[in-house]
Amino acid sequence: MSISRRDFIKTQAAIAAATAAGTTLSGAKIAEAQAHDDTIRWDKGACRFCGTGCGVLVGTKQGRIVATQGDPDAPVNKGLNCIKGYFLSKIMYGKDRLTKPLLRKTKGVYDKEGQFEEVSWDEAFDVMADKWKEAIKKKGPTSVGMFGSGQWTIWEGYAASKFMKGGMRSNNIDPNARHCMASAVGAFMRAFGIDEPMGCYDDLEHADVFVLWGANMAEMHPILWSRLTDTRLTREGCEVHVMSTFEHRSFELADNGMVFTPQTDLAIANYIANYIIQNKAYNQDFIDKHVNFNATTTDIGYGLRPEHPLQKAAKNPDKGKFDKVTFDEYAAMVAEYTLEKTSEMSGVPAEQLERLAKAYADPNKKVTSFWTMGFNQHTRGVWVNGLVYNIHLLMGKISEPGNSPFSLTGQPSACGTAREVGTFAHRLPADLVVMNEKHRDFAEKVWELPKGTIPEKPGYHAVLQNRMLKDGKLNAYWVQCNNNMQAAANMNEETYPGYRNPENFITVSDPYPTVTAMAADLILPTAMWMEKEGAYGNAERRTQFWRQQVDAPGEAKSDMWQVIEFSKRFKVEEVWPADLIALKPELSGKTLYEVLFRNGHTDKFPLQEITDNAGNVYNNSESKDFGFYVQKGIFEEYREFQWNGPKKGHEMAPFEAYHNARGLRWPVLDGQETLWRFREGYDKHVKSGEGINFYGKPDGRAAIIFAPFEPAAESPDKEFDLWLSTGRVLEHWHSGSMTRRVPELYRAYPDAKIYMHPEDAKERKLKRGQEVKIQTRRGEVTSRVETRGRNKPPRGLVFMPWFDAGQLVNKLTLDATDPLSKETDYKKCACRVVRA
Amino acid sequence: MSITGLIIHTAPKNAASVQQAVEALEGTEVHKVTHDGRMIVTVDNEDDGKATQTFDAFRSIAGVLSTSLVYTHFEDDYGVGEHQS
Repeated sequence: MSISRRDFIKTQAAIAAATAAGTTLSGAKIAEAQAHDDTIRWDKGACRFCGTGCGVLVGTKQGRIVATQGDPDAPVNKGLNCIKGYFLSKIMYGKDRLTKPLLRKTKGVYDKEGQFEEVSWDEAFDVMADKWKEAIKKKGPTSVGMFGSGQWTIWEGYAASKFMKGGMRSNNIDPNARHCMASAVGAFMRAFGIDEPMGCYDDLEHADVFVLWGANMAEMHPILWSRLTDTRLTREGCEVHVMSTFEHRSFELADNGMVFTPQTDLAIANYIANYIIQNKAYNQDFIDKHVNFNATTTDIGYGLRPEHPLQKAAKNPDKGKFDKVTFDEYAAMVAEYTLEKTSEMSGVPAEQLERLAKAYADPNKKVTSFWTMGFNQHTRGVWVNGLVYNIHLLMGKISEPGNSPFSLTGQPSACGTAREVGTFAHRLPADLVVMNEKHRDFAEKVWELPKGTIPEKPGYHAVLQNRMLKDGKLNAYWVQCNNNMQAAANMNEETYPGYRNPENFITVSDPYPTVTAMAADLILPTAMWMEKEGAYGNAERRTQFWRQQVDAPGEAKSDMWQVIEFSKRFKVEEVWPADLIALKPELSGKTLYEVLFRNGHTDKFPLQEITDNAGNVYNNSESKDFGFYVQKGIFEEYREFQWNGPKKGHEMAPFEAYHNARGLRWPVLDGQETLWRFREGYDKHVKSGEGINFYGKPDGRAAIIFAPFEPAAESPDKEFDLWLSTGRVLEHWHSGSMTRRVPELYRAYPDAKIYMHPEDAKERKLKRGQEVKIQTRRGEVTSRVETRGRNKPPRGLVFMPWFDAGQLVNKLTLDATDPLSKETDYKKCACRVVRA
Repeated sequence: MSITGLIIHTAPKNAASVQQAVEALEGTEVHKVTHDGRMIVTVDNEDDGKATQTFDAFRSIAGVLSTSLVYTHFEDDYGVGEHQS
């Protein structure tokens, strides 16, 4: 008997689903399908989208990816996919994929006002290098910059950071993770002295209580939500508390769903701490041994331009200093956040707030808190992240299964690349910072650069980069792996004028002609996802590798290839001062390629054939081009920061281990991953008898830091009478540059719309589906009204997703940022909605 | 051609009615129902665009708790004759 190919595929689909469900199928068809020698090659990979980090099996046939399935052996998703992951294989095959460099030209030469024309890589890099050299010559290294990504692979981020900080001597490199995770990082560093969650996804199966602070996991982290749902439905007494500024899909599972007035999360968190203290529910022993109390500087402004009235009005703009206080002083500070006052401020009924407080205060309940952009994209984002740590630390509910304050992540390698490699304007690999001389010295030692190469002043962060482009201080600029014209706030007043400033030369590397690419002067076609050997790090500290499955189309090249190839265009004399070269005369006359990459250290691993355990052979385009195993050389160099550097706790396993494992959670010590950090028995950095050691801090104690409620940068008033919150929807990922090119996802949610309360619509004489204008002090966007469906805002608030390039919601948003993390608040500004 | 393998979760007491409703949809096949109410289903559509409609239809069947997509195959999307077998 022979089954048709279609039946065969169907049977394979059924087997995969059965495997994920933990069951088996039987029958003749099944046996034949299993015995069938198919031509599809399967290999493991990591999903391209969010920070969950699902494992996928990638099916390749004749040089194209034709199938994907949830990897049943992946501990994160155990064989499941969300709808975006399900269509993953299609993201590389959009019809308008870029395959050649495009330069704006008039009459055959570069012209900022010219039209895009295809050029060779040589011509593209010649023009670009000229512009970079010209900028450095005129204004020094602070006039060049790069905007990178939490979607860069680990080695892409590392190569870019090394190129900018160690080669160009500019700290003006920042990732788009500034827009999503910077507040989380700030709070981790303040409270624990080391970045990233202490717990892991296993907490999803161990908690009795789940609390969502502003996160809509049902749509944004669907696989984690399915694990949470399983626990809620099967664990006796399990309850789910959901807080948000509007009702969304996660409320469907909520036992206690709370809609609060924007910004009052600060008050709610302080109220819970106050409840715990008033009821003497705190864990005295834990507090005595492992915690100290502090209060942060207040009235810190809103991260706006210095001449903005709100900045001028602030008493302590941008101040992050916090000072030690006693427990009693701390108790007095939270005391004003009574149940009555907090209920009034937040609009949440008192009994619901009290139910939440009781859940945290119950010593017998394990509590896991989740949050993402609701907290991070917040002008007091660092503070509010910290306020939840305060609650967990008061109770000692931390660093053990089920007791976990857990900061979720939006991008696939915001942790692995942006945070761990340190592609922020102030960071170096493995939690080191440019402001610290010892850290710079160490980085220069690993990179074999003369002392003083890396500048000590932090570079321009994401929002400042746009301002400096507009002001003409940042002139040669390279955007890789993100769509910041669409993503950054206040596009009309800052981003667009910056990119089109005649003084500036803007390069954008992308697989597709995004809004950002179209605003550039040079577009470089980029190899994406499975077209390169890659590595991502997810939100639970899990580092995952994949092999290059297919070749990129046309002349598209990976971001790492582009950076390394570009470095060949610079001689040290063109970018470094003579006195610096004099410290290491053997570098004189060399190119940055020879100094940074082809240097006898980074290139120490020779080319090798890449194979899997089944003997399949894989390509590695970059290594073939440069003549050494680039990814391995970079990763092993990066490990020197982890293992020999001044800060412990970031140790990863050797390169090969990750090509075999379904990811490993760092620190990986004695070949073992770490599930819960800081606790004896789970974390090998904690010595026997210590119990708990927050070893990121010199005294081993975590910091409880009081921070008060302070108002949002912009609130509704008579003229602009509604709160505007922006965010995502399930079907689309971020700016939609990939998901909008998948026909099914596009059809499932084609255009953005504005979600509004039916009474608010009625009051404005608007009907569902009607075209409207959304206006703020900064701009206007046209959309359609939605009064039903998945999001149900309360009176006075509207929600609009930002994935739609046809409705650029960031023309409306305000570029107010957290003064400490420099992350923009995309969740709060004032708007009005009128008939179009 | 678009072929999907997925799991539909339902309470065991609703399994029979859910199975009936699933099978009534075009291109669907139920391969197994486990004792705890999980259904192994494939969806086979000529037109890829219909797949998401079918998934939406699953969501609206009374008794369906959730659906989990597992496997996907889009072979014919990539040009006629490229993947003959």
